[in-house]
Amino acid sequence: MFDLEKAIADWRQQMLTAGIKTPVPLEELENHLREEIERQVKSGLTEQPALEISVRRIGQPEMLHREFKKSERTFMKRTLIILAGVFGVLVGMALLMPAAHLYKEQGMVHNAVVGFGWGIPIVLLGASTTFYGFNKRKA
Amino acid sequence: MYGASMIRKELVAASAEPLILSLLSNGESYGYAIIQEVKARSGGKLQWTDGMLYPVLHRMENRGLIKSRWGESETGRKRKYYSLKRDGKTAMAKHHEQWSLVHSVLAGLQKEQFV
Repeated sequence: MFDLEKAIADWRQQMLTAGIKTPVPLEELENHLREEIERQVKSGLTEQPALEISVRRIGQPEMLHREFKKSERTFMKRTLIILAGVFGVLVGMALLMPAAHLYKEQGMVHNAVVGFGWGIPIVLLGASTTFYGFNKRKA
Repeated sequence: MYGASMIRKELVAASAEPLILSLLSNGESYGYAIIQEVKARSGGKLQWTDGMLYPVLHRMENRGLIKSRWGESETGRKRKYYSLKRDGKTAMAKHHEQWSLVHSVLAGLQKEQFV
């Protein structure tokens, strides 16, 4: 007797072995599989061929894993760019604020100049990197 | 995406995003329904490898074009629904512009061939 639940569990194991994570995206893929099986069965197939066709239609686990990894990598790269930008802004501010304070107390003394000289470009660089990262996100 | 269809796989791949965005502009939907609708509207000629839709959807979500929520199907099964975000609407408009441009150039050239 064909055991549909066992066959689906075996399919899940193949997906997990190939590196597809749970719950995302495995739950989505399994729901899709079940809906396709239902549709095939409604159109007259028995469970076993319905499962075989549906598994084939979902695609090879390794190929899916490769595609999911691709989108993960890009997302991480862009998140890192944004974080690097924010870090740059913070470093720049850490230089600017004491420089501004010094300038208020003693005018444009050497340390204030150095602070402004480094702080302003670093803040600008950090801000533009963050902005770039956000824009790249949509690309 | 690259099913054994008569359409070149590069074209299938390039058309995936504009198709998904346009379908979602009609309202929220989920993966299985999206695939069935594309198949139906193309008379079966656009047959995506079902599983490959999901990395595309996730990429589009990461890029802020669409958003998702977990809901329930009629049978109580968990289902992820996707909907268009504002950036997705903008991207869709851009796609329409670009596809119309390519189409009009091709159509113009085609017309010339029969003159």
